[in-house]
Amino acid sequence: MAKGDKLLALILVVIFIFAIGQYTFISMSKAKRTIIIRSDGEIVQQIPLNEKTAIITTIKSKEGTITMQVKNGKVHIIESTCHDKLCIKQGWISKTGESIVCLPNRISISIVGEERNEIDSITY
Amino acid sequence: MNKKRNIVTILGWIFVVCLIIFSFINKAEKPPATAELYAMGTIVDIKIYGVNKEAILKEVIKKIEEINSYIDSFSPTSDIHKINENAGIKNVTVHPETVAIIEKAIELARNTNGAFNPLITPLSQIWGFRDKNYRIPSEKEIEDALNLTDYNDIIISTDTVFLKKEGEALDLGGIAKGYTLDCLKEILDKMNGERALINIGGNILLYGTPPGKQWKIGIKNPREDGIIGTLNIEGTTFISTSGDYERFFIEDNKRYCHLINPFNGYPADKIFSVTVVSNKGYYGDALSTAFFIIGKNEALQDVKKFDVNIVVIDCDLNVSCSEELKDSLMLENGKG
Repeated sequence: MAKGDKLLALILVVIFIFAIGQYTFISMSKAKRTIIIRSDGEIVQQIPLNEKTAIITTIKSKEGTITMQVKNGKVHIIESTCHDKLCIKQGWISKTGESIVCLPNRISISIVGEERNEIDSITY
Repeated sequence: MNKKRNIVTILGWIFVVCLIIFSFINKAEKPPATAELYAMGTIVDIKIYGVNKEAILKEVIKKIEEINSYIDSFSPTSDIHKINENAGIKNVTVHPETVAIIEKAIELARNTNGAFNPLITPLSQIWGFRDKNYRIPSEKEIEDALNLTDYNDIIISTDTVFLKKEGEALDLGGIAKGYTLDCLKEILDKMNGERALINIGGNILLYGTPPGKQWKIGIKNPREDGIIGTLNIEGTTFISTSGDYERFFIEDNKRYCHLINPFNGYPADKIFSVTVVSNKGYYGDALSTAFFIIGKNEALQDVKKFDVNIVVIDCDLNVSCSEELKDSLMLENGKG
């Protein structure tokens, strides 16, 4: 009986530690954000986004080209072959659920997190 | 022995607590089936959750592309293009779905006393919003174009459509996205969809209940980056916005936007934007246009008549909403 109890106690302790570990791991990974870049509707690049990410990259589609910059945990478009340049005018995005779309070039840049987005979608 | 028993009991309880935590963790559900496509002159963002997600996604994309092929007035093979080409000449046989959208457009035009007008094209044209050759037209041009915007000139008989006068032209851009969302909701109903979020150029269908019960939908700030506030919405709902920031040009410090007042022929300038929350997609889409034309006070008076709710951002960036949304609207500056 005593042996069984000990064994049971041990199993419970192991499960408990495992559960705590799992929970902490999931909580920690919540902070992860990723920039997802789509060209003509297809994902062409995924970039982990944090405060240290500093990238300038060019994205091509069948319609044209844009250049985006990632800096201080934020993303914006600095150059585009489109006419209206609305994508550039849109400025910086940083929150999960936010996105920049260049309609004429059919390129989109969105920020996603592993947890549920701060906002599900935007009406405009 | 008793002490040991107690320890085991405590550990047992801890185990139960862990199981509860686990069950919550596991509820962090599987990622949705997603797609991004370009249709109806805009971007479409689709997220479908639940067991049947891939099959539903397929049907949803099919339906969007189907309706798009009927109503794209820039495509020479579309029903709308054919109707416009034959304005004042002859009637045109079109797909039943096209007839259905036009009927809904006429219904909304009547109910809004013409504030929503599916024959606005001649006016959009002279202001340059069709070909992006923006310019201020002459009084005479505006007057002539206004004479081609009588929606009573749309003649439907079974599966044919006829526009009475040459030069008249249909534009379903103010209702087709909402109508499409209605069709997508039907697909989700039929295929036992659990949850979905479909955004067609800012017109959104929220389907089902998300974790945390409420959908969080940002309303674009009409003058700055980002959002001006968030709507917390429960259950299946449609959300549409019309604003002066999407397509516009500025001349002599005045902004001219693509939403033209069908009563005087000039771009509407009474408010910056209006968001409509409704239980019918085509209603929300067309009413956001109509409310943008008539302005804040009239729109707020009309919400009961149409059984919708609205958020209005006026020309001083003040945000107002209908009574029922007061608890759902959170403004970014902490008010609300």
